[in-house]
Amino acid sequence: MNTIAPAARRRHHAYLLPLLAVLALAALALAILLGVVDLDPADTLAALTGHGSPEARAIILDIRLPRILTGILAGIHFALAGLLLQSITRNPLADPSLMGVSQGAMLAVSGFLVFAVYSHDTGSTTLQELPVQWLPLIGTLGGLAAGGFIYLIAFRRDLGPLRITLCGIAVGAVLHAIGIGLMAGWGSGRLEVLLEWFSGSLYARGWQHALFLLPFTVAGLLVLPVIRRPLELLRFDATVARSFGLAYRAQFSIVLLIACALAASAVGVVGPVVFVGLIVPHMARFLAGQQSRIVLPLTVALGAITMTLADLAGRLAGGTEEIPIGVVTAICGVPLLVALLRKTP
Amino acid sequence: MLSASHLSICYGQRKALDGFEIALAAGEIRALIGPNGSGKSTALQALAGLAKPEAGTVLIDGASIAAMTRREIAHRLSFLPQQPTAPDEMTVEQLVRQGRFAHVGLFRRYRQQDEDAIGWALESTGLAELAQRSLSALSGGERQRAWISAALAQEAKILLLDEPTSFLDIGYQIEVLDLVHRLSRERGVTVVMAIHDLNQAMSIADRISLLEKGRLVFDGSAADLAASGLIERVFRVEGRFVQISPDGPPHFDVHLKRWAEPVALSA
Repeated sequence: MNTIAPAARRRHHAYLLPLLAVLALAALALAILLGVVDLDPADTLAALTGHGSPEARAIILDIRLPRILTGILAGIHFALAGLLLQSITRNPLADPSLMGVSQGAMLAVSGFLVFAVYSHDTGSTTLQELPVQWLPLIGTLGGLAAGGFIYLIAFRRDLGPLRITLCGIAVGAVLHAIGIGLMAGWGSGRLEVLLEWFSGSLYARGWQHALFLLPFTVAGLLVLPVIRRPLELLRFDATVARSFGLAYRAQFSIVLLIACALAASAVGVVGPVVFVGLIVPHMARFLAGQQSRIVLPLTVALGAITMTLADLAGRLAGGTEEIPIGVVTAICGVPLLVALLRKTP
Repeated sequence: MLSASHLSICYGQRKALDGFEIALAAGEIRALIGPNGSGKSTALQALAGLAKPEAGTVLIDGASIAAMTRREIAHRLSFLPQQPTAPDEMTVEQLVRQGRFAHVGLFRRYRQQDEDAIGWALESTGLAELAQRSLSALSGGERQRAWISAALAQEAKILLLDEPTSFLDIGYQIEVLDLVHRLSRERGVTVVMAIHDLNQAMSIADRISLLEKGRLVFDGSAADLAASGLIERVFRVEGRFVQISPDGPPHFDVHLKRWAEPVALSA
């Protein structure tokens, strides 16, 4: 009898997860230590424990730390959403923007801002003076609405993975066009600040943003063990998955809902950071090889690392005029994608 | 065991299956034959509870399949569709492990009995050596056996196979039929398989169901089928049934028209 020894197979890649955990901590440490303002490492450490100079405390505790944590959470959201969407649509190119979630969030945010500008008319000229505290919620709702809309269309036509992808692209394009049209038609100079959000940015993200994301992240991570096996089966044809005993429709819907909630909340907070949702799952699959069990944890770890490092690069490279993280991920993402595609048989 | 009555299924306006009937005994092997588009796959899908019938019922051990969850069905019945696809990087063993989902569910760990079932499924399909090979690196025959192996790991008492021998060379075809026969006789597994090769159908099946344009036109033994003259009408072929060995199944010998060769060649 060929008894399978899972322990032996797991040992094969046993170094990967601890390695990534170390890498994640290193990225975190780097992101805290480095920045536009040069701080003494000792001062930084003191600030972290609540001591140190007031200046260091302000920079580390009020600016850098919440921003980094927001980035980590958003990175986990994008990466997981990408993995889930790629699995259930059986489309290796699926990511939040392909499902219309990003565009839905974008349209909601721009519509809200146009409305806010005209209804307040306080002469406010920067994003900061507008009711920005509502942006994450508005974006999340917009993204969820777009995802829900696509789901309903596809549901009535029996949820074919190709159909749902095509619906996503079509609806996304329409929402994007309306969003851009809204800005172009009504946009005054005041709305230029929106562009920064559209490019995906962690600038000025504070504790309230991290706290907004946290419940979504916790819920998403807690539900992972429950959907691990269905997620494997959802990568098959519906007929095959159902024959193996999967309640296909219910599980498909659950996973899609989780993916949309993760993606929409992240887009709502940091804007559409492109390529993270697309590439991180591919990196995870590449590293995992045949070890499908570790794809999920790898995706989580890599999402956090990628986002932290990309934001750090954007902060350092641009000096005082930092480069938005969405631009960094787009620039770094393309060569990475090409490299991964070359390795894939 | 498994039975269906008055089963009708429509795809849009077209009636793919019209009043289909079947009743299977435990351990029986049933061949489902018929021309392309005659409803064989639809009948199997309906028996597996995968296609919703317009009318009629499917019963497993007396209980309606419509009232069962997918997991309850998968416990009793495993279905292998035509040319299924799997994620490329998946290994043979990972595919076969999916066959245990009905047993382990969302959380339960794989116990010894699960590992035994997986091991047995791999052994019986001769894939134990290839267990760690990825599916994309297999030949067509090996891949088909991997899928059969996954269906076996389910350890269901009813096995539905949709053209399991198509695209296999004669060696693998016989291997698959052999395995089916062994499962039926040694484990009492009830098998329904759609199959194109008439002679294979007649030699392996206990009974044969013949479909034409969604309607059941014959249900009985190979000898009765040979006597009915239906094969030539339904498939629009000429041929004759010959008895090769006295107690063996009849053999259908197709008559091929011989066209005259061009004059230039024969000259």
